[in-house]
Amino acid sequence: MRGPGESATERILLVSAVVSASVTVLILGFMLVMALPLLRGGGLFSLLTQHWEPGKGLYGIYPLLITTAGISSLGLLLAFPLSLGCACLIGLYGRRPPGRLLRRIVQLMTGVPTVVYGFVGIFVLVPLIREFFQTGSGMCLLTGALMLSVLIAPTMILFFQDSFERVPRSHLAAAEALGADRAQTLLYVVLPAARRGILVGVILAFGRAAGDTLISLMLAGNAVQVPGSVLDSARTLTAHIALVIAADYESPEFRSIFACGLILYLFITVITVLVRRLAMPESGERP
Amino acid sequence: MNRFREKALIGVSWACGIILSGIFFFLVAYLARQGAGVIDLKLVFGETPPLEALLLRQRVFDGLFPAMVGTFLLVCLSIVLAVPLGVATGIYMAEYAGARVKDLFNLVFDVLAGIPSILVGLFGFALAIFLHKHFSNRIQPCLLISALALAFLVLPYIIRTTQAALEGIPGETRLTALALGATKPQNLFHVLIPQSLSGMLSGLILAIGRCAEDTAVIMLTGVVVSAGVPTSLLGPYEALPFYIYYISSQYAGPEELLRGYGASLILLLLCTTLFFAAFLIKKRLTYLALYRP
Amino acid sequence: MNDEQAKIKVTGLDFFYRDRHVLKDLNVRFERNAITALVGPSGTGKSTFLYTLNRLWENIPGARMRGTVEIILGGLWRDIYAGGYPVTELRRRVGLVFQTPNPLPMSIRKNVAFPLKLAGNRDRRLLQDRIEQALQAAYLWDEVKDRLDDDARTLSGGQQQRLCIARALVLEPEVLLMDEPTSSLDAAATEIIETLLVALKRRFTVLVVSHYLDQVRRVADAVVTFPDGTVVSNSTEPR
Repeated sequence: MRGPGESATERILLVSAVVSASVTVLILGFMLVMALPLLRGGGLFSLLTQHWEPGKGLYGIYPLLITTAGISSLGLLLAFPLSLGCACLIGLYGRRPPGRLLRRIVQLMTGVPTVVYGFVGIFVLVPLIREFFQTGSGMCLLTGALMLSVLIAPTMILFFQDSFERVPRSHLAAAEALGADRAQTLLYVVLPAARRGILVGVILAFGRAAGDTLISLMLAGNAVQVPGSVLDSARTLTAHIALVIAADYESPEFRSIFACGLILYLFITVITVLVRRLAMPESGERP
Repeated sequence: MNRFREKALIGVSWACGIILSGIFFFLVAYLARQGAGVIDLKLVFGETPPLEALLLRQRVFDGLFPAMVGTFLLVCLSIVLAVPLGVATGIYMAEYAGARVKDLFNLVFDVLAGIPSILVGLFGFALAIFLHKHFSNRIQPCLLISALALAFLVLPYIIRTTQAALEGIPGETRLTALALGATKPQNLFHVLIPQSLSGMLSGLILAIGRCAEDTAVIMLTGVVVSAGVPTSLLGPYEALPFYIYYISSQYAGPEELLRGYGASLILLLLCTTLFFAAFLIKKRLTYLALYRP
Repeated sequence: MNDEQAKIKVTGLDFFYRDRHVLKDLNVRFERNAITALVGPSGTGKSTFLYTLNRLWENIPGARMRGTVEIILGGLWRDIYAGGYPVTELRRRVGLVFQTPNPLPMSIRKNVAFPLKLAGNRDRRLLQDRIEQALQAAYLWDEVKDRLDDDARTLSGGQQQRLCIARALVLEPEVLLMDEPTSSLDAAATEIIETLLVALKRRFTVLVVSHYLDQVRRVADAVVTFPDGTVVSNSTEPR
């Protein structure tokens, strides 16, 4: 039997949870509704494979898709070894100064605002790339990917390092009892055991790289074209949304950004489901 | 075992650590060198006397003051909107939700946490249009809409940290008050929530930092370059991150550029301090800090 | 044992936790004003069984139960799972002390006053009297009477456990459930608690889960073996 106060409390809390959950659904809903005319007109397939030439009435987001995929993949490719190496360093030294110091530095780095990375990128990295490769303005896929890798590395490092710590103590104790030193324990026991956690970290970082706006907006050049090389200027889905927002409401140009939004939303949902699938069976509980 | 591989591991790890630290220190040192000299009252208030500006009697045109006030109000408003909703949801998830409901909601909130900020901004924008058409002509992208959108952005942090903090309480502690005749709300109020405060606090700090640094959401929901100190919830406003973005491409001279550096330094110090504080309070934030798209 | 001497009657009790069938068709009675020990191998559901007597399992996700539990409360037999009896009231009449002492992060005084506060008692003088009585009954008063406002966590393990007992006693329950009360304590502290238990049975019906057969021999009037529920009176040697 429950007092009236109890049911009222539960009901208020339930309403809050439902409201929070509806936000997620509402976001999807708005994307769908706004993108609908475009989808119905050209169909999803043509939207995804056509090129973007407003002059010719083509509003395909294909170049944007390629750019997003390219810049995220490149950024991830650059960040992954770096992150794994740093996570290993922290793992090797544990409580001792090098490990603790690097951990603190990484924690500090997670707080660096994205726009600040972009700002420094414009004034430092862009000229550097321009000088080094002697072509273009320096604002290109490569510059964006480089900065992106710096952005996603800290959280990847912390995530990897967390996966290392989740390896059961008994494994570590067994290795130590057999005479393994830290490097051996890390290499032969911890890394293999943390494989799944590392994979999850990589997928999450990929999702995050694809969802970032500021860095590609400020550093990648924003030309709407399928990039032929990493030194080409290009535009991501996210930057496109930021740039086209000022266009006229009812135009197909405007609606294309909702199509971009829809794609991103679906992409992130797939990533989330994938991560949950991978992360769950291992421990039977949420990571 | 392979001695070479082990030595290589150590060597490579050190190299990575040094590279990453180097990048970080370079970043900080570069900004400090360019911007530290600029940080003084003039940066904030421009040519306007500080007292006049603070009392809102004169408008500041070439200083960061309006942007700082804008960011401050934005953060306060978003937090006020997000915290009650997020904490209540977190409590529901940890203490009342049945297994299947919990699973479903967990999925929904995981998706919410992963939604890129630009999409949240887009949603805010679309919401503003919708409200403009169907409710009141006065509603447009503005401080209120931005705060609302930012609240949606940080909602998952608050939910997750609250939920995790409550779920982390050991089994017998959860049952102690109940065994002494407490109702569920009494147990929550007297035992569970007091024990979760540090976790919830770090979630709050994380949310504050996230609101302060976000650019993508506010770009789409009403931030402008020059609006002075915000005078109404339904009006335009300035914000530090957007100022930095704008200056980076549109600076009209070395002085403006310097202000950009100053602003970057201020924002950097503010956000790294907040995030670091959150980490200090609660060590296990990795999973949550990851979601910052 | 016939109904007149019984305080608790359990009939056809089945308990499930997630996929495990922890208790199977348990039928047992517990004598009034006596100490009954619950013994048996680990994992046979002794602690779980205690939780069915104060319905605490209902706050543990994944737990399910069938069967009847009747307890004499306020002079009448009550089916504690039937609609009419509020669970908060039940828990005030059937107190539980956990295995590991778990004082709340407050002063000694506030810990003991806590259940009274939950029940809505605010009268300061009444509170003070009840606190003193409870601490006396738990053999702790003399040791803490001069430091009632100290943080409860500064007490030793044995003192903390007696504090938890006092906290359970302050509501003057009719039944006291104890889940391995001395397993985290040293020999001296254990001895104090065992003496305490024997004194308590004059006023309460006590059920004690214990792994220590010599403790059982010293203290218990009857023994219930788990998982089957056979009752042995303590005049014979326990297994």
